This record gives sequence, C-alpha cells and structure tokens, in this order.
Amino acid sequence: MPVPRARLLDLMRVQCRIFNSTFNPEGLRLGNKILRQRLKGPALASYYPRKMGTIQDLQRVYTDELDIFDEEEEDRFEKIKILKARGKGAPKKKRTAEESKKFKGKKK
Amino acid sequence: MSMFRAKRLDLGCFVNVKVIRDHTKRKVFAEHEPERQALRYIIRNLSLPARTRAQAQLQLAQMHCYTRPTQIRNRCIEGGKGRGVLRDFKMTRYNFRMNALAGSIPGVKKAAW
Repeated sequence: MPVPRARLLDLMRVQCRIFNSTFNPEGLRLGNKILRQRLKGPALASYYPRKMGTIQDLQRVYTDELDIFDEEEEDRFEKIKILKARGKGAPKKKRTAEESKKFKGKKK
Repeated sequence: MSMFRAKRLDLGCFVNVKVIRDHTKRKVFAEHEPERQALRYIIRNLSLPARTRAQAQLQLAQMHCYTRPTQIRNRCIEGGKGRGVLRDFKMTRYNFRMNALAGSIPGVKKAAW
C-alpha cells in the first residue's frame, strides 16, 4: 500500500525538528552544508609546538630569589671572550655615519 | 606578510622563515575562518538575490591570500622541510626514521619478521 506524500512530509518535518536539521523537501540549494561544517582553524593553528618556558623566562621571573645558571649563554660568552682575546672578535658597532664611512671606498 | 606575523616568536620547534610563514598563515586562517564560511554560505544559498551572492563572491575573492586554507602546508617540525612529511608524526621521512630508530617516538618499532 503506497504511503501518501503528505504523510511522508510530516514525518520528515518531525525528523528535522528532532535532529535539528533544516526542513527542505524540495531539495533547494540553501548552502546549509557550509553551516554544518566544523571549524578547522583551531586544529590547523595548533600544528607547530609552541614555545615552552625558557631559562631566560625563569631568570626574568626569579631575578633575586634564585640564581639560575644558563649554560648555553655562559658558553657563548666564554667563546666570545676567547675570540676577543685572540683579536678575532666581531668589530665594534658603528654608531654614526662618519664612523661607518671611515674605511669605505677602494683599497689603496 | 609582515603585518600578520607575531611580534614575538612563539614557536618551539625547528624555526626557519618558511616555518614562521606557514605558522602565521595558520593563525590568520583560524582568525578569519568564520568570515570566510559566512561568505561561502551566502554564495551557495540560491534563495538569496543574485546581486548579494555576486558581492559575496567578490568579497571572498578579495580577502588576503593568507586567510585561505589552501596556503597552508604541513611542514616538518624537526627540519622545516615541506616534502615527504608524515602527517601522523609531523616529520619528514628521514627525521622520522632517525627518531624512530633512536626510540624517541613512543609505540614505533622497526618491523622484522
């Protein structure tokens, strides 16, 4: 026995109300599939691991209570000191225009 | 683009300019995603007037390229490479192999039978 269309539509309407979907018996293109999509921005934005607390951060927070030793930084300073002692360090930063122009131009 | 870039570096993985760029794009996309989806809804909705939909199309096309999801590419967190990246481990195949053999990836074991 065929079921009348009106009855099927009623069923569909109730279904849509219960499952919170859009009642669209004519199958019109209302773009609801866009609204149904989940936002994937947060998942994409958390791809790369974020920076955790560094030794510099700790030093900044506990300036007087704790004496924190940053081994890498100390190593770097030591290396620079050795280079300077051998006369191989980086040149001093030029602060003014005249200073930086001093050694410019063709070598004589 | 520099206007989107974070003032302070907030990455804890391998960093080079490509990784920073990709990270910036991800954040910009996440920020603009609701706006993009709203415009896409207007475009797809045939019950709205054609003029509104055309305007929405133009507006979507004129948004900055960093707000587009297609600009995002998974890069290696160990070396910043863009090719041969295993999605599950976020690493290139070589870095994955090195880490797996060193035993630093939980649950990964070299197959032998």
